Amino acid sequence: MHEMAKELLDAGERAFIDQVIVSKDERPGALLGILEAVQEHHPHKYLPMETLEYIALKTQTPLSRVYSVATFYALFNLQPQGDNTICICRGTACHTRGSRNLLESLRLELGLTLEDESDGGGADKILQTTPDQKFTVRTVACFGQCALAPVVEVNHHICGHANERTLQREIQTIERGSE
Amino acid sequence: MPQKKLSVRIDGELISAVEGQTILQAARANGKRIPTLCDLEGLTPVGACRLCIVEISGTDRLFPACTTPVQDGMSVTTVSPKLTQYRRVSLELLFVERNHVCSACVSNGHCELQAMATEMGISTVRFAYNYPKLAVDLSHPRYVLDQNRCILCTRCVRVCAELEGAHVWEVTSRGIHSRIVGDLNQKWGDAKGCTSCGKCVQACPTGALAEKGWAVEEMVKKNDNISSLVRRRGVQA
Repeated sequence: MHEMAKELLDAGERAFIDQVIVSKDERPGALLGILEAVQEHHPHKYLPMETLEYIALKTQTPLSRVYSVATFYALFNLQPQGDNTICICRGTACHTRGSRNLLESLRLELGLTLEDESDGGGADKILQTTPDQKFTVRTVACFGQCALAPVVEVNHHICGHANERTLQREIQTIERGSE
Repeated sequence: MPQKKLSVRIDGELISAVEGQTILQAARANGKRIPTLCDLEGLTPVGACRLCIVEISGTDRLFPACTTPVQDGMSVTTVSPKLTQYRRVSLELLFVERNHVCSACVSNGHCELQAMATEMGISTVRFAYNYPKLAVDLSHPRYVLDQNRCILCTRCVRVCAELEGAHVWEVTSRGIHSRIVGDLNQKWGDAKGCTSCGKCVQACPTGALAEKGWAVEEMVKKNDNISSLVRRRGVQA
């Protein structure tokens, strides 16, 4: 395990993880903070398996415990995230104001599949990334901004009273900005 | 160090317990049985199955006997129509979550879940089945992990971490998506920490973890061995 984790991560990444672990001072519960900092540092905002393995090795935490923590919290991503994140609220208030249609039109607009709608009945958390790694669409249970329903978060910026037009405009702005 | 003696009433009977004992331990020490699936003597109690719930006079809440410490003068009820009803619902929900088809299970006839359902008189499940179709992990040379039989009691997780010290198992995700997972979601055969000791297999109350080579009804678990191993080592949970 030792050798493999070392081979798969480059020196810079390892140095950063070591530094984060040292800064957490081996406090109990430090694992959460370490995972968060390491994910934030990654260009695609996720935790690759090699990284988890390296963190487990360095903090002397069982591999299974690291995996368990990383999968329990919705904050952690085990898949690479797109450059832009669009987060649609699926709370009750937003649902009654049409957030399901909003989500579906957004997925169609970005060319994402709707097939996994069938197994969870739309109640499950959705996390999809476009093949070109440009956009990630995800859902949350509630933003706590119910007065602004339906709420959409585009790159950590809250858009209240969203509709298909405003959403399209946001996407166009992002696409124009990246050209 | 002499431990403080406490007197507790369990189902009206006055018994003496030791400070620090849980209700379940005190009841067991006095020959009283409280139904449970996740508890295994010698392992840390977690309160996962909610079958050992008891009533404590003076409060309307139900408490899990395995994690509630005894207090002096406590009066506990372990059998009542309300408790039976709650236990039955908990058990039915366990059946709803996974495909527990006994007729095709190695543990048929030796299964704690099955025995518990028989004891509670459950012949049908009132709720709609909601189980996914999960893959069976046959990668280990000696053992099998069948997620479809798992009740997430976490006995395997605890026995591996506390007694074997390997900590191969853990629970991943949450809610309906919870699964037992080895290492970084690897196949059991690829889990580097696994010592193939088989303690998890013996601790498992159902046919979720089994030895290879046994046909239907043939897998008899020896989870007494785990408790006696803990006693002999002097490890006390």
